[in-house]
Amino acid sequence: MNKARFSILDISGDIGISTAGATLPDVFVNAGMALYSLSTDVDAVQEQFAREVHVEADTCDVLLIRFLNELIFLLESEWFVGHRIEIGAMQCDLQGGKPAVLSARIQGEEFSPDRHERRLLLKAATYHKLRLEQQKDGWYAEVIFDI
Amino acid sequence: MAELKRIDAYRLLVPRDYKEGMRTDGIIFVDEHLQKDLEKGAIDQVANVATLPGIVGRSMAMPDIHTGYGFPIGGVAAFDMKDGVLSPGGVGYDINCGVRLIRSNLIKAEVMPKMSELVDALYKAIPSGVGSKGRIRLNERDRERILLKGARWAVEQAYGSQTDLENAESGGCMTGADPSSISAKAYERGLAQQGTLGSGNHFLEVQYVDEIYDEAAAGVMGIFQHQITVMIHTGSRGFGHQVCTDYLEVMGRAAEKYNIQLLDRELACAPFSSPEAQDYFGAMNASANYAWANRQCLTHWTREAFYAFFRVSPREAGMSLIYDVAHNIAKIEEHLIGGVRQKLVVHRKGCTRAFPPDHPDLPDRYRAIGQPVLIPGDMGRASYILLGTQKAMDETFGSTCHGAGRLLSRHQAVRQAKGRAIRREMEDRGVVVRAAGRETLAEEMPEAYKNISNVVDVVHDAGISKKVARLRPLGVIKG
Repeated sequence: MNKARFSILDISGDIGISTAGATLPDVFVNAGMALYSLSTDVDAVQEQFAREVHVEADTCDVLLIRFLNELIFLLESEWFVGHRIEIGAMQCDLQGGKPAVLSARIQGEEFSPDRHERRLLLKAATYHKLRLEQQKDGWYAEVIFDI
Repeated sequence: MAELKRIDAYRLLVPRDYKEGMRTDGIIFVDEHLQKDLEKGAIDQVANVATLPGIVGRSMAMPDIHTGYGFPIGGVAAFDMKDGVLSPGGVGYDINCGVRLIRSNLIKAEVMPKMSELVDALYKAIPSGVGSKGRIRLNERDRERILLKGARWAVEQAYGSQTDLENAESGGCMTGADPSSISAKAYERGLAQQGTLGSGNHFLEVQYVDEIYDEAAAGVMGIFQHQITVMIHTGSRGFGHQVCTDYLEVMGRAAEKYNIQLLDRELACAPFSSPEAQDYFGAMNASANYAWANRQCLTHWTREAFYAFFRVSPREAGMSLIYDVAHNIAKIEEHLIGGVRQKLVVHRKGCTRAFPPDHPDLPDRYRAIGQPVLIPGDMGRASYILLGTQKAMDETFGSTCHGAGRLLSRHQAVRQAKGRAIRREMEDRGVVVRAAGRETLAEEMPEAYKNISNVVDVVHDAGISKKVARLRPLGVIKG
C-alpha cells in the first residue's frame, strides 16, 4: 500500500489536506491516498481488484482536482476504495502550453460497512485555495474537500 | 479598501469601494455579537459576488454566514435574466439541500421513555453514512422520471400523499429539468443513492415543540406545545454533487468565452441566456427534483417506522408534512425593483426562501400567514419554525437564514472532543444520538456550531422572518 503522507488543514465547514512529495506523481499519490484516508481506515482495505482512471486538463492544478474527483466518483458510484495508487503516464508542463494528462491504476476493493470504518462522505475536491507548486526540495499541494 | 459600516443593530454594509470591481454594495445581517465570529474570507466572498455581471440590488448574506466556495454560505444574490449570470457556485455542491418538517399527534411524554428504541428503529429504516445503499433501485425509465417529477415521482410510487406535494416549496418539483443535460457519471453516481440521508451535517431528528411564539400561526400549521415533530435535512446526494463538479468545468470555460472576469475559480458562471447556463439550469432543476424525491422517500420510511413502532394507524399518527424548504438553489422569481415587476434569477446558497403572506406561490393553507421557514440548529440545542415576511420580500428577495452556521472546523471539533463521550454527553442532555461515522458525533457536537437562537433572533428582529415555534431535539440520526 501507499502510506498516506498528509496533514489536515482546518477549514470552517469542511476539511482540507496538505501534502508534499519528491516528485509530482508522489504528490498525486499522496493526495489520492489522503482522500481514501478521509473516507475510511486504508490499512483495512485489501487489494482485490483494480480500477483505472485517465484525466486531462489545461493545467497541472486542475489535473489534480479532476484526478481526485475521479476517485470520488469511483467511491460513490461503486464504493471502490483504494489501497495503492500507481501513476502510469503523466505529462504536466508547469509553464502550460501542453495539455496535462494522467493515467493511474488503483488497487483496492468495494467498501463494506462491516469491515471498513466509516469516516467522511466527500462531495467534491474544490478549487477553493487550491495550491500545487514546485518547491526547493520537491512538490507541495493543498486541496479542500466539500463535505 | 473601505471599512465595513454598521447600518443598524442587525445590518452591516460592505461598501462598494470595499473591493475593486464591485458593482453594488453588500449587506450582511449580523448583530455585534455574531460579527465577532464573522470570517474575513466570507466578507470577501460577499464582495466577490457583487462583482458578477448583471447583479440586481445588493449582494447579501444572512447571520449564519461562513466561507463557502465562490459564494459564501448564507448568501443570496439576484441577477438580471438578460444581462446577468447563473453560477453553480451560487447554488453549491449539494443542489437543493433542504429541510422538511413532519408533524404528529404524539406528545413528548409518551415518546420520550422509548426514545432509544425509536432511534434504533429509525436508524435501521434510513440508510446513512459511507457505503450506505438506498432501498430504491431505479430502472432506466424511473431514473429520468425522478428528475422530471421530483417528489411527485415518489408520491406516484405510493411514498406519500398529494398533501405532501402541496406543502413543499415549488410543490416538490421544479419545471425546466432537462435529463439530457446530465452526464453519464452523475446518473451512475445517483443511481444507488436515491433514498439515502448522506453524512456530514445531514440528519433526521425527532423533536418536541418547546415554545410557541405565535399561537395563531402555529394553529394553522397544526403545531401545539409538547408535540412530537420529525425534521429531515438532506439533499441531492452524489447525483447533485456530480452535477456541480461537471458544470464548474463547463462554466469555467464559458466564463472565459464570454469574457467574464472571475476573482475565484469557484465563481465560474455564464450569462443566464447562454447555452452553457441553460444546460446547467436544466441539470440543476433535475438535481433539485432528485433531492425532493429523496426527502419524500425518507419521509415515507420515517412514517412507516413510527406506525410500526407505536402500533398506530396513519390517521392516529397524523404525520402530515408541515413544509419543505430548499436552501441551495437558483430560481426564476418575480420581484419588485424600483417599483417595476421584474423576473430575476435568485441564487440562494445556505439561505432559505421566506415569502410573505398572500404570495401566489404559497399553498392556500399558508396564504394568510406567509411561508413556513424551517431552520435546523445543532443536535443539542434547538431548531425553529419561522414565517416569511413582506420585509424579506422588500429587502432580501424574500430570503432568510438556513441554520446555525459552523463555529469550529471539523478537525478542531474532533480535537476538542478527544477523550469525551459525546454520545453520553448528549444522552445526559436528553438527546439520544446514533451516527454511522466514527467521528461524526465529535464533528457535529453542539459547540461546533453558532447558537441557533442568536441567528434566529437577528432575522426576527431585522424583520425578515417571524418566529413561530422552537423545537428541541430528543433523538438524532446522522451519517
